[in-house]
Amino acid sequence: MALTNLRGRAAYVFEEVDFDVDQIVGVKNIKIQDIDELAAAAMQTYDKFFADKVLPGDLLIGARNFGYGHPHYPPMKAMRHLGIAGVIAESFAPGYWRGEIAMGFPQVPCPGILAAVERWDELEVDWAAGVVRNLTQATELPFEPLSQGDVEMLEAGGLVPFLHRKVDRSAVDPTA
Amino acid sequence: MGYTLAEKVLGRAAGGGPATAGSDVEVKPDFVLAYDFPGYTDVIFKQMKEEFGIARVAEPERYGIFIDHMVPAATPQEEELHIGTREWCAENGVALYERAGIGHQVAAEAGYATPGAFVVHFDGHISQLGAFGTLAIGVRRHLLEAFVREYISFKVPHTTRVDLVGRLPKGVMARDVFHHVVRTLGPSSCRFQVLEFGGEGLAEISLEGRQSMCGLAMFTGAITAVVNPDEATLAKAAPLARKQLDPVVSDPDATYAARHVIDLSDLEPIVVVPPSPANTADLKDYLGLEVNSGYLGSCVSGRIEDLRIAAQVLKGRKVKAGFQLHVIPTSQEIMTQAAKEGLIATLAEAGAFVSSSSCDYCFGRIATMTKGQRAVSTGTLNVRGRMGSPDSEIYLCNAAAVAASAIEGRVADPRAYL
Repeated sequence: MALTNLRGRAAYVFEEVDFDVDQIVGVKNIKIQDIDELAAAAMQTYDKFFADKVLPGDLLIGARNFGYGHPHYPPMKAMRHLGIAGVIAESFAPGYWRGEIAMGFPQVPCPGILAAVERWDELEVDWAAGVVRNLTQATELPFEPLSQGDVEMLEAGGLVPFLHRKVDRSAVDPTA
Repeated sequence: MGYTLAEKVLGRAAGGGPATAGSDVEVKPDFVLAYDFPGYTDVIFKQMKEEFGIARVAEPERYGIFIDHMVPAATPQEEELHIGTREWCAENGVALYERAGIGHQVAAEAGYATPGAFVVHFDGHISQLGAFGTLAIGVRRHLLEAFVREYISFKVPHTTRVDLVGRLPKGVMARDVFHHVVRTLGPSSCRFQVLEFGGEGLAEISLEGRQSMCGLAMFTGAITAVVNPDEATLAKAAPLARKQLDPVVSDPDATYAARHVIDLSDLEPIVVVPPSPANTADLKDYLGLEVNSGYLGSCVSGRIEDLRIAAQVLKGRKVKAGFQLHVIPTSQEIMTQAAKEGLIATLAEAGAFVSSSSCDYCFGRIATMTKGQRAVSTGTLNVRGRMGSPDSEIYLCNAAAVAASAIEGRVADPRAYL
């Protein structure tokens, strides 16, 4: 089983280094449980009409150490609800990374991406080739390969289905 | 070829010799810890049973649960969460620590900070057990794996080494050393790595100071921090240790991703300016800034040396009228010690609001700030809304600086009071 390539537009470019993702929904909205309400609150300080413009499969672009601080899950839940299929950033903060991979949400560490993408460029993440293609600009950039465990978790669709595979396997073979 | 402490601990936990940084291993955590919190423990307990059909954990002695947030409960829902946690621990035969203090500190007092042990928690501040030579890592929701499998999948991290030399000047505390590391190495300098402290300067820093430094590791991007345990640490940790393990230290010829030297003699008190733990500055550049409240506590301060220095600053003085100073010893054990030493009396006489241990001040559940208010704090974090309104501000600094600021109602230099 292999990961399906991501293809979509750069729906937003977060240029801030050490970006705190909680800002996507705003700290005052972080406890909203209703996903529609949460999604409606998202991106209001960046682009008020973001929800109207984004299409399923679109991607977010981030700078260095994306997800720094004390990341919570609601901002990216809202992004996925709006159709965002993954994040490509210069690099990621480990806590954010671990949390989102566990949600089965693709994250792509790609040094140089910030300079290589304009908002709304059409992009493709080719997992097998290990590159991010900018189809609008006809360029491509290699990304840093994910660990085997992270790939397996994304393939499984997140932590729980991933652990089901592991637990089921070890039931058959205790050394697995 | 030598190995780092992290490589040795993970190799042993994987059932063999040292593992090399970068390799993928299946490791058995010696201890699995968590505090009860909605979305974490309640979900894990439910998934364990309903998704994976596991009624009880196989080796309950490996697990430890803490009730330290939402203490005391303020809503029926909070108390219901605690009830669920108590019931799960009783059913599983798992140790529960309730109202004993902030879990990361209580974990050390209860012997989970076993030198050489591998510990997982969902919360990253568990890294503070590294002060004892324990490799303790916050894995967020991946903690579920440690409840449904004996082993967990893990990538052996690289290590960045920071050697401390020189002596700490007056009024400069352990957490200033950590903030200085963020300032000089950068907030992403140790991404996905272990931050290891060493060097002769460590002798200047108490075990509890090392806990504070290790507990903040995440703000360098590190997944944890460690100190090679010295004789004094082992003498303290060994009688409490919950498992017989050989203590582990990094080899002198271990391979590090990077090495840095910090001269403690050069340091000054630091303030971390909102809204990011990356915004370190000299405290002296913010002197005089009006502040409304002060928080002295949290898992990365609020220990006996913090209370002693605050009492020293406040002895015979008064908290400025209208200023709210909250002093929350990190555990009941520390509270008791502080009471015996007369520190609680000194702080209360000065006008401090002294409370039993709880995590709730650190994340604004109580002592909540409103729009436009500003705090000096020894908490973990200064992001927007952490202690109340998103339009309030948190300036992180050491315990002495919080105490001095409480006297003046403005950001103050503690050195004038020491």
